[in-house]
Amino acid sequence: MNGFLVQNGGIQSSIQDMGRQGLSDIGLTQSGAMDELAFGYANMLVGNTLNTPALEIAMGGVVLEAQGMMRIAICGANMQVMCKEKVLALWQTHILQKGDILRFAFASDAQFAYLAVEGGFQTPYAYGSFSTSLKEGLGGIEGRKLKAGDFLLVLAHQNVGEKRKIQKAFVPSYPEEITVRLLKGYQEERFDAEAQRRFFGSTYTFKGEGDRMGYRLSGEKIVPSVTGILSEPICYGAVQIPSHGEPIVLLKERQTIGGYPKIGSVIGVDCFKLAQLKTGGKVCFCEVSLEEAHRATYAFYDFFKKIGVC
Amino acid sequence: MKRVYKIASESSVILYFGESIDPAVSKEVQKAYHALKEAKVEGFYELIPSYASLMVVYDVLSLTFDGACERIESILSHANTLVEHASSIVTIPVYYGLDVGLDLELLCEEKGLSVEEIIALHVKSTYSVYAIGFAPGFAYLGEIDARLATSRLANPRKAVPKGSVAIADRQTAVYPAQSPGGWKVLGRTPTAMFDATYKGLSLLHVGDSVRFEPISKEMFLRLGGEL
Repeated sequence: MNGFLVQNGGIQSSIQDMGRQGLSDIGLTQSGAMDELAFGYANMLVGNTLNTPALEIAMGGVVLEAQGMMRIAICGANMQVMCKEKVLALWQTHILQKGDILRFAFASDAQFAYLAVEGGFQTPYAYGSFSTSLKEGLGGIEGRKLKAGDFLLVLAHQNVGEKRKIQKAFVPSYPEEITVRLLKGYQEERFDAEAQRRFFGSTYTFKGEGDRMGYRLSGEKIVPSVTGILSEPICYGAVQIPSHGEPIVLLKERQTIGGYPKIGSVIGVDCFKLAQLKTGGKVCFCEVSLEEAHRATYAFYDFFKKIGVC
Repeated sequence: MKRVYKIASESSVILYFGESIDPAVSKEVQKAYHALKEAKVEGFYELIPSYASLMVVYDVLSLTFDGACERIESILSHANTLVEHASSIVTIPVYYGLDVGLDLELLCEEKGLSVEEIIALHVKSTYSVYAIGFAPGFAYLGEIDARLATSRLANPRKAVPKGSVAIADRQTAVYPAQSPGGWKVLGRTPTAMFDATYKGLSLLHVGDSVRFEPISKEMFLRLGGEL
């Protein structure tokens, strides 16, 4: 059987695709790749469609043994992946042979790397997606992060495709200071002009408080005129401000409903940048119009569509 | 009843039908949820109902915010003439023993009621599913008798057993799986709340009516309950 034998599961590695759809009404979280850009590039390089399951590696520490010949690509955070005493370059394809061992060190520049394999991982499909939802314990490999001894099945390929590489100009950088675009909405009127001025005028720090569910940011405290609201649906990127006054941006494994006031939402395509922010990184919010938010989203997915991934 | 459309994100709109836990408001949410669900609009990815609001997540590549709102409004304006969605009544068997009703004694003390009185108050009402969230299949049911209304535990449990039937504020719920939680536990059901073999996966859906039926320990075990 072709695939990878997991020798070390690392800090938190899980199978992800674009996430679940249509089950939020019964409480299932969306889940899916935290950084769709790196995830999409990795799949594109090996000739997969965008929604093909890949391995999401948070922080690093993974060791995998190839059980056969495969074409792979690794995109995202730089984890100094070693194979046969050489560092494998990111953002391009590589051919692995049976017995090759991939060793991921720990990322210093960002949070998540994606390993895509030609044909995709043949892991269990649960509730309309291959994504692992760690909090709910469903999808992927028994609903949990990888551990030593797991086997990631890959369909055997007789012929592997050609060598491909993302042009330098398209490779994202992971700066330590980012600005994310926010579309005001939800309870925005509960934040008065002074609170909004401080929110948009401040630089917040990500102190590593967060996971696939969401990131809490530290900095200027904003007080909404209500401490709690009736529990309501939560969308991707929603910025909730609990009574401690510091924003929490809700990401892929967010709860489906919740009762904290929200000033609006970080646009989806900028959530990927936030997800990759390393501990100690800085974030500023800038307001965008609905039209700009739509244009940015359209441009992002249209890009993958144009290169034939969607 | 008027509804307010607001931006939630670039790909989702939230509709507000009111601002409080109110059976009439909840009915409006349920009606809208079912009407939109039945309309099966291409490009509407998620419909998430809650107490007084409903979110529609739409495909931003094929719909604008205004376009999505117009589509919703046209469906809902016709839904006003539709008969109320026929919801099912689900009976959930519960073993209310002190060995599984982890907070029964605490509640007796807090409320000045006997265990029997607490059970009687919990089983006498028919509850409505206001929302599902927190975990797959975790249904928020309301409202419990005011005499049972209680705060959450000061120190939430790290692991509430699967099937625990619990209360908090004026609400009651069943924990579909073992999870952390701060609701006060009265008993345990052997019935699965979330199961891949169920049509619709979740035993309960927003708008359903729910009753609890007390069962003996023997029956609980016979029905597959675990202590």
